Order: sequence, then structure tokens, then C-alpha cells
Amino acid sequence: MKIDPAFIWTALVQLLSAIPTTLVITAVSVTAGFIIGLITALLRIYRVPVLGPIAAGYVTFIRGTPMLTHLLLIYFGLPMVLDALAAQFGWGFKSSSIPMIGFAFISFSITAGAYMSEVIRSGLLAVNRGQLEAAYSVGMTTSQALRRIVFPQALAVSVPNLSNSIIGMLHGSTLAFTVSVVEINAKAQIVASTNWKFFEAYLAAAVIFWGLTLLIERISAAIEKRIQVYNRGGVA
Amino acid sequence: MIQLTNISKSFGRHQVLKQIDLTVQKGEVVVILGPSGSGKTTLLRCVNYLEKPGEGEIAIGDFRLNCKHAGKKDIHQLRQKSAMVFQQYNLFKHKTALENVMEGLVVVKKLPKEEAKARSVALLEKVGLGSKLDAYPSQLSGGQQQRVGIARALAMEPEVILFDEPTSALDPELVGEVLAVIRNIAKEGITMIVVTHEMGFARDVASRVVFMDDGVIVEEGTPAELFQNPREERTRQFLKRITPEYNYSI
Repeated sequence: MKIDPAFIWTALVQLLSAIPTTLVITAVSVTAGFIIGLITALLRIYRVPVLGPIAAGYVTFIRGTPMLTHLLLIYFGLPMVLDALAAQFGWGFKSSSIPMIGFAFISFSITAGAYMSEVIRSGLLAVNRGQLEAAYSVGMTTSQALRRIVFPQALAVSVPNLSNSIIGMLHGSTLAFTVSVVEINAKAQIVASTNWKFFEAYLAAAVIFWGLTLLIERISAAIEKRIQVYNRGGVA
Repeated sequence: MIQLTNISKSFGRHQVLKQIDLTVQKGEVVVILGPSGSGKTTLLRCVNYLEKPGEGEIAIGDFRLNCKHAGKKDIHQLRQKSAMVFQQYNLFKHKTALENVMEGLVVVKKLPKEEAKARSVALLEKVGLGSKLDAYPSQLSGGQQQRVGIARALAMEPEVILFDEPTSALDPELVGEVLAVIRNIAKEGITMIVVTHEMGFARDVASRVVFMDDGVIVEEGTPAELFQNPREERTRQFLKRITPEYNYSI
């Protein structure tokens, strides 16, 4: 067997059309995951009765099971639940109307939420308690203090870890092919299936993923630089 | 006028404050002295409700709050009556000196940005930091940071400013500049409660000195009374320890 360099390029060009799907899955799961993660982290930090332990259980279950399993559980479980509910309350809703990518959005958001909650929690814990006290002392409410003083600092500390989560979700989005969503990796398989040049196709996919990852790293570094002007901490 | 009535506070089983009564008149500078663990910082923090008293009543101006039935709104209102200057400065570290002072004016007092800025600049100039408006706390010395902290407290125009060991974290050579600023604002008739170990400062600036030990106020009086003629044995012992007679030989 010989490598066909020309086909790497051909495949690369064909894969470009799948980039938007990959990016949308990543963007949705990261955005929703961030919101879920923030709520989860706050519930745990403030030890909210009932909801706090539930949040902790959510994090340990999701982190304790593979992302692919989440996708399959949602894919097979969610329609059953929704159809049962629809039958019960007489909604004119059929689970078959949910687009395939919808399952990926839901399940990956749940996955991302658990991982990101730990990133956000560590960021919040890294903010000195004195910052909150100072905010109180000038008369801020708790929500003002959190929004204006604590969150910006927590987020700044979290940027490197958040970029890690985003990259993880970008690469994890390849699992969406299991529920027949055609993202970059799936497209590579499809492209190669006509001529069996799988290596070339996957190599092209790898190049694209690497490129996207580099982009995320660059953006993260730029944000870090901007956000950290005030902070001369660390060991450097 | 600030009136603390019957303030008690426990951390677990350890009772830190035992039914404390303290009244501070408008314009007074009250210095609280006492050995570490005597509860002086806790008492100060109770006035700002950074520490929740177990029981008692806090009155600032015409606002009165019973600690047993204090709701979120009451606490929020009480906090607006006072401002705190912290031992560790606690400047908002992601904001410049100017933004630190402006923050409360814009967010809490809802002043228009331009007005908040003008007032903040004036206050920073007053504490000698007119040239450091855009510096972040990490770019300032301890003394400079603490002066920003004082400007931030002044900006809120509170009924009382609470100083929690404002010079204890500073290098000795920086203590002077911070004390000078506090002295100046004391002259303007701003009500202050100061927890400090600076005896010279207490002597010169305080209108009244309160000595605390083991969660109670042992005695209080003018600096002259308390330093030269303490009534209580515990006060005498404390003063002796922190103002040693220089009779040792090398």
C-alpha cells in the first residue's frame, strides 16, 4: 500500500464543509455547559440544601461515565421519556421530530457542564474572601459582588482550564457520528469509503482539528493576556 | 452616633464577644486596643456585619438593627452606613485605583460615571495618589494600596469609617504615610473606630481609647487617662507589655 499525498489535499477540501457542524456542536455544548457548570458550582459552593448534593451527584456521575455513554443514554432514553410524557398529557409531540444533532447538543452540554463546573468552582475558590468582604463593605449586595468582583476574577483564573474544556469538547464532538451527525471525522470516513484511502482522509481530519485547536489556543492566550494585566502573580 | 448594645458573638463554643456596649458620638475617633484574641477585630467587623453577632443591637444614625431578626435588606442597609478599611487592603485587584474608588459610587450609590470619576479623582488626590489613578493594586506599594482603601471608604460618605489594623501589614517605613492620611481625615470630623497597635497614633488622634480583653471592654477613657492612669490591672499589664521600658542592656 502506498500513501496518496494528493488525496490528502482532496479530502481536506471536502472536509471543510463539515467544519460548521463541528463548530456548532462545540459552541452549543460549551456555552450551555458553562451555564450549567456555573449554576452547579454555585450550588455546591453555597451548599444549597437538596440542590447542592444533587449537583455533586451530577458531577460525579457524569465524570464517572464516558461521554459516548451519555450520548447513547440520551439518544435512547430521552425519546422514551418524552413520548411517555406526550402520551400522558396529550401533547402532539413525537420524539422522532427531534433532529439527530439535537441529541448531541443535549448530551454534550450535560457532559461539558460537569467538567466545567469543576473548573469554575476552582476559579471561584481561588478568589480571596477579602474581595467579597470589600464588596460588602462598600454596600454591594451579594449578587452585585459576585457579578462585578468575584466572577471576573474567577473567570480570569479559569481561562487556561476553560480552554482545555473547550478543546476537549471540540475533540469529543466526533462522537456525534454515533447518532449519524456528520462532523469532520465522520465526513473523513465518508470521503474515504469511496476509495478506501482512510489514512489520507483521517490525516486530513487531524490537520483540521489541529488547526482549530491552535485557533482556540491563540484566542485563549490573547484573552489571558488582556485579562491578566492586573495580575502579576505566579512564578514567572 | 453609633450605638452597640449587648453585642455577643461566639465561634463554636468559644465566646469572643460578651455582651458589649459601646457608644460612639458623631465626630469621635475611638481607638480600640487589646491583646490579640481579645475580640476587637470581631467587634469592628460586627459593625459592618462582616461578622454576624449572635445577639445584640446595632444602631448607626437613625437606623437600628436587632441582630436576632436581621433580614438581608436590613443587613444591606446597615452596611451602607459604614465603610471598612482592611488590614490586608482588599482592593479589588482587577480594577485600577480609580476604578476601586468609583466602584461603590457607581454600583451602590448609582452616581453617573462622570460625577463618580470626578469625586474619586479628588479623593485619590487627597490621599496623595493623584498620579496613580490608572495603577492596578499589584503595581502599588502596601502604603499606597492602603491609601486607595481609605479613599474607597471615604467615597461612600459613611456615617463611620472602620479601620481594622490599617497599618499592621505594612513595612515600618510605610506606616507613617498611612497614619498621616488617617490623621488628616480625623481632623475633618469624620467618625472613626480604629483597631490598631500604634500607641503613638492612639495617643495623638483618639478622642477616646477603649481597652478590650477576653471579649469584654475592660475600661475606656481619654488617651491621657488610659495611658497615664489606667484603673484596671489588666490594662496596666497590657500597656506595660507593648510599651516596654528601655532598661535592658546589651
